[in-house]
Amino acid sequence: MIITAIVKKELLQLRRDPRLIALIIVMPLVLLILFGVALKLEPSNVKMAFVDEDQSIFSNQIKTSLWSDGYFDLYDVSSKQQIIEEIRSGRAKAGLYIGSDFSSLLTENQQPHIVFFTDGTMPSLTTAMKYNSASATDENVTSNMYFSDADADNVVIAQEPFIMDTEILFNPDEKETWFFLPGVIGVLIMQIALILTGITVVREREKNTLEQLLVTPMSKTSFIIGKLLPYVFIGLLDFYFILGVGWSLFDLPQPSSHLLLFLLSFIYVAVMISLGLLISLVSKTQQQAMFIAIFIIVPSILLSGFIFPLEAIPDSVRFLCYGIPFTYFVEIIRGLLIKQTLFVDLLPAYAALTGFVIVFVTGSIYKFRQTL
Amino acid sequence: MIKARHLTKFYNRQKAVNDVSLDVEKGQIFGLLGPNAAGKTTLIRMLCGIIDSSQGDVQINDQSIAKARSNFGYVAQHFGQYEELSVWENLKFYAQMYDVTDETVLYALLQRYALIAFKDRMAGDLSGGYQRRLALACALAHDPDVLFLDEPTAGIDPVTRKLLWDDFYLLSASGKTLFVTTHYMEEAQRCHQLAFMAAGSVIARGTPETIKESLGDVLIYSVQIAYLPELHEVLNQLPGMVLINQFGEELRIVVKPGLKIDVIEAAISSIIKTPFALKLSQANLEDVFIALTQDEAV
Repeated sequence: MIITAIVKKELLQLRRDPRLIALIIVMPLVLLILFGVALKLEPSNVKMAFVDEDQSIFSNQIKTSLWSDGYFDLYDVSSKQQIIEEIRSGRAKAGLYIGSDFSSLLTENQQPHIVFFTDGTMPSLTTAMKYNSASATDENVTSNMYFSDADADNVVIAQEPFIMDTEILFNPDEKETWFFLPGVIGVLIMQIALILTGITVVREREKNTLEQLLVTPMSKTSFIIGKLLPYVFIGLLDFYFILGVGWSLFDLPQPSSHLLLFLLSFIYVAVMISLGLLISLVSKTQQQAMFIAIFIIVPSILLSGFIFPLEAIPDSVRFLCYGIPFTYFVEIIRGLLIKQTLFVDLLPAYAALTGFVIVFVTGSIYKFRQTL
Repeated sequence: MIKARHLTKFYNRQKAVNDVSLDVEKGQIFGLLGPNAAGKTTLIRMLCGIIDSSQGDVQINDQSIAKARSNFGYVAQHFGQYEELSVWENLKFYAQMYDVTDETVLYALLQRYALIAFKDRMAGDLSGGYQRRLALACALAHDPDVLFLDEPTAGIDPVTRKLLWDDFYLLSASGKTLFVTTHYMEEAQRCHQLAFMAAGSVIARGTPETIKESLGDVLIYSVQIAYLPELHEVLNQLPGMVLINQFGEELRIVVKPGLKIDVIEAAISSIIKTPFALKLSQANLEDVFIALTQDEAV
């Protein structure tokens, strides 16, 4: 009897919160459809920087075969070093280098080497790329590349006309911790920040302290800034604490620039704290705030390139990935800790994160009403 | 000091406050009286600018609310200080919201409201009475000219209530204007000016004395009889009966002058077989309050 009464009361309370019901129904629906469409393991149109110093019919055959497969999206760059820089900057995920002596060595049966470069910061993508690069050494390509040597002994199985070496850049040992940990730091900060600030205004509303605060002469801006600053500070401390544990326990590499890492941590923490505050301002109850936070955290993890490569997400929904702050965080932190990417190449991502701070803070100031 | 014109508030299509205008002079204690859901809290919140009015305008010290914020203090009906902060931290916080940094002022407030002993206690651990004192101290930290108090003594024991009202008089005597909502009649009696509110409208206003006159030409009788529903029924049927009001053991009967005392006595005798003494009485605020709100309800 008592249990029935409590069950009934709980259901009644839930029914009286239509926003929560909407979240319970809409959230899984939206996420399921989104993930159903977006989450693919097989990338396509992976950017590949290509250097063909040989410019022969043979090297062209390799290029054509790679191209026609649809997996790689090739573009020419000027040098082998440039391939590495393209991958370091994030403009390319893979590269192929064919030296100037390729056809001459080939015709002399000297088994020339070509080099396939991959970005090692994403092991799942690396594996997929290695698998797909096989089209470069496909039979259709190599069948025209056998040159008989009159002096040689007959062999049962001819050796491959050329050899493709794979060079995994930045993370040659394909360490998973290098790949996961930098992003994990961002996930943890996102969770802490959103939960921490997600309830800050709602709680004031629920506990009646907001009413008492609203009669004071405080301005909207001072309320928002005053709410943000302490949490940004705490978030920063937490960021470095987690990073410190990562460094001491998991052999996480040092950043290319401590200043840039600090800049990233500051901007990223500010993004998450201001997003949390905005959530708190649009929520009517603490429960709603928690739901919205989860609604943001889950797709952020799955659609940011943190676990699944962005290249695997269909173009139709790819734009959504760029609406997620965490996407830029993943790009920058991998760039700083693993790839040693130059600031100029990370600048757009930094700018995007700064943009999010501006949007969320302005949104919070706009959303904060000085009346109940 | 406080000037409100045509304040109206709609919630959805429901009128919570209907075209209320009022003026409160400096140094007055202005009481807003009314039953629950009369619109008192909505009105006081509009006066403080915590909720927007649908229509109308408020001025405090001839300034808009936004500009006058440093000139008034507000104590909400529900405790609105931070439970996780100590008494001192709360007081200091509210003082800083008004740029007040002089701690001697704050210590004087702690002294005034007997909070010194609880200075370091968490506000959430205070009793209801002391929470109210803390709320008052916080509202006074910036020494405002006007104080809005929404049911400041609701749920407070009689001794603390008296202490608080003594303090309100001191504040008023020092030149501060107090706007107080209440539904305690004895508190209303202590106000300089009153407004009666029912169903969103002000239905009577004036000093407690003039308000009592708003009952009009009636006679009031009082008799010591406990509640008897059948007696109320009989009395209600008498022509010229205005109001029957039971206060514990006391039955108060408000009638038009045409209704003679012997008719009333006869009606009572038909139910009550023991001797009783029906005496002529003076109108009190409760009679008026109930008569007015009853009219409104009808």
